[in-house]
Amino acid sequence: MFHWLEQRPFFFAVMLFLTVAFAGFIEIIPDFAKASQPVVGKKPSTILQLAGRQVYIKDSCNACHSQLIRPFKAETDRYGMYSLSGEYAYDRPFLWGSKRTGPDLHRVGNYRTTEWHENHMMDPAAVVPGSIMPKYPHMFTNLADIATAYANASTQKAVFGTPYDQKGMPKLGTWKEAKAQALADAKKIASEMKNQQVKDMVAAGKVPEIVALIAYLNSLK
Amino acid sequence: MSQETLFTIAGYGKFFITLFIFIMFYGYAYSIYKRQKTGEKDFEKYSNLVLNDSLDSTPLEPRYRKQDKND
Amino acid sequence: MQSNAQLEYDYSVVKLFTFATILFGIIGMTIGVIIAFQLAFPELSNLAGEYGTFSRLRPLHTNGVAFGFTLSGIFATWYYVGQRTLKMSLKESKFLMRVAKLHFWLYFITILLAVVTLISGYTTSKEYAELEWPLDLLVVVWWVLWGVAMFGMIGMRRERAIYVSIWYYMSSFLAIAMLYIFNNMEVPTIFWSGDAPSSIMHSISMYSGTNDALVQWWYGHNAVAFVFTTPIIGIIYYFLPKESGQPVFSYKLSVLAFWGLMFVYLWAGGHHLLYSTVPDWMQTMGSAMSVVLILPSWGSAINMLLTMKGEWQQLQTSPLIKFMILASTFYMLSTIEGPIQAIKSVNAIAHFTDWIPGHVHDGTLGWVGFMIIAGLYHMAPRMYKREIYSKKLMDTQFWLQTTGIVLYFTSMWIAGITQGMMWRAYDDYGSLLYSFIDTVEVLHPYYTLRGIGGLFYLTGFFMFAFNMYKTATSGRVLDKEPANASPMA
Repeated sequence: MFHWLEQRPFFFAVMLFLTVAFAGFIEIIPDFAKASQPVVGKKPSTILQLAGRQVYIKDSCNACHSQLIRPFKAETDRYGMYSLSGEYAYDRPFLWGSKRTGPDLHRVGNYRTTEWHENHMMDPAAVVPGSIMPKYPHMFTNLADIATAYANASTQKAVFGTPYDQKGMPKLGTWKEAKAQALADAKKIASEMKNQQVKDMVAAGKVPEIVALIAYLNSLK
Repeated sequence: MSQETLFTIAGYGKFFITLFIFIMFYGYAYSIYKRQKTGEKDFEKYSNLVLNDSLDSTPLEPRYRKQDKND
Repeated sequence: MQSNAQLEYDYSVVKLFTFATILFGIIGMTIGVIIAFQLAFPELSNLAGEYGTFSRLRPLHTNGVAFGFTLSGIFATWYYVGQRTLKMSLKESKFLMRVAKLHFWLYFITILLAVVTLISGYTTSKEYAELEWPLDLLVVVWWVLWGVAMFGMIGMRRERAIYVSIWYYMSSFLAIAMLYIFNNMEVPTIFWSGDAPSSIMHSISMYSGTNDALVQWWYGHNAVAFVFTTPIIGIIYYFLPKESGQPVFSYKLSVLAFWGLMFVYLWAGGHHLLYSTVPDWMQTMGSAMSVVLILPSWGSAINMLLTMKGEWQQLQTSPLIKFMILASTFYMLSTIEGPIQAIKSVNAIAHFTDWIPGHVHDGTLGWVGFMIIAGLYHMAPRMYKREIYSKKLMDTQFWLQTTGIVLYFTSMWIAGITQGMMWRAYDDYGSLLYSFIDTVEVLHPYYTLRGIGGLFYLTGFFMFAFNMYKTATSGRVLDKEPANASPMA
């Protein structure tokens, strides 16, 4: 039997494939059923927050920051309540990260303010002496991609049934409405900031990346 | 189906597959050992596939000759 | 079809991929050294605006070395080992030749596009699967082309039995195809954008949250297996016996080790059944048998070392043998280190720290890097029909790079364990002893040391590139193909 297989590349490949494929499925399927339920009270992100999340991804913040608090005392003391699977139900993609060159950010919205982020993103070492984080001044001039954030949300709604436009959930509406809403949210953030250039841009109807990013970071609770 | 049931199925699945693979694997090991021992098949000669790999050297176990219609 | 006597192996595709290996190796490793120093000296992160930050460059480094350097090395050796052990030449089939050439060019273009898109910030954020959807589609095309070339070549073989190296290449082709497709299931958002002027490049994952993480690490763990492990074992099973002129210590063991690895690898990384309703004894038995299966998977490294039995003097005379023996030693080191890190209590400390990049790098620099370098060195005199330009340079390169690796992993081990312990340290009153920034500042000397280690390795790689270039252009011309040991001046 074995000898037969050794000399037939096709059946050999089939056998090889089954061997390799099977383990994955049997291990993953039960978890799939479990993990997709959101925790009670979890809301999908607003457009502005999604745009901020895209900035987070664009600049690979997840290369150095995790968003996963493990159930150890040392971690809950430092970062807050440990993470629950259902809190990530609307995260596409997930942003757990795999390395903490910087601290965890899963609940950073609980203990950092708009002002803190504003100063920190401009010059991290000025806020936290000894920090090795790069400066991100370009976020104060680059514009956040609100249109793609809208496409992102409406794809989530259309394809995956993420509960936008439902009672008590963030509103999506048409592109025009969504844009107006995102700008209104941005104005709120900008009013707490002190950078005049950013304030001017938002007043002129443009949303810099930093505003969206802060909206996203503040939503991490 | 509840999640408990799925876990149970996965658990039993994992156990029996590991058992099956375990038996297959050591069955294979034994079959190799036996075939070499009884001289039914010499596995070690396949090392020569590397040592003797120029295009004009004679194949160790040639496939059908070119003139045959099978190949 | 021509008769065998006039026919020779065709190395044109091998040469193309060899060039790509060296080019992407230089790019990927240079960026690696830059980002290593950025962690030690953060001012370096802001020299090129948004395009020079650590966070932008890091995906470029991982993709550059994994899919640029390593994959081209795998493809280069495949078109070489494949032809030779199957005893067929690409010259015999115009079709396969075209497929192979197309494979190369599409691959090359994809990696160049990857460099451009990643540095501009187009990323899905999933590690080792960062490329956005248009590039993913390109990857699928050339992966399929590789498969066509592979099975086409196997179909044309003169040798009935298929050598074990080819098995490893096949496994890599099949497994990566499956893993890549499932992990990169993503929905381009442009189709639901309504009248919003959204980006065509953007996509979101088909899976959400925890599920996405599960699929990602099922991919992440096994992509490492089937890019950094199995094809490299295929490489060593050809090049070490060939270069040393010794038959494999035990071909039987190599066959068993192959199946052992295939069975075991995909089970690793799954600890999801620990709290299920399955009887305890059954879980224990399952794990125990998996452990027994691991033993044969170790067979390969031992098999390689034993192949040198009675021939250890070659280690002194040939730097090429040194590369390969040290590579299999590093393989053993990182395959024992991995399981140790997977133990729950160790993982609690090691996870999220620099021990993990340390572990990855003793595997990739020591095992993957050295094997690909050795393979390319061995192929050079056959491809270019010239003697290797300088043995002395090769020897210097070996020692420089080995020192680099040792500096790298020792500093990262210490850094990782130090940081892991500091994160969880409490004072007498039950409050955390260190703020996060304390645990960053303490790493400065280790980050510096790691950067220096990386610089050593990179310098060695430049020596390799120079040596290869000189071999191809001005090495002494050989009148016939060397049988075993590669001639070097």
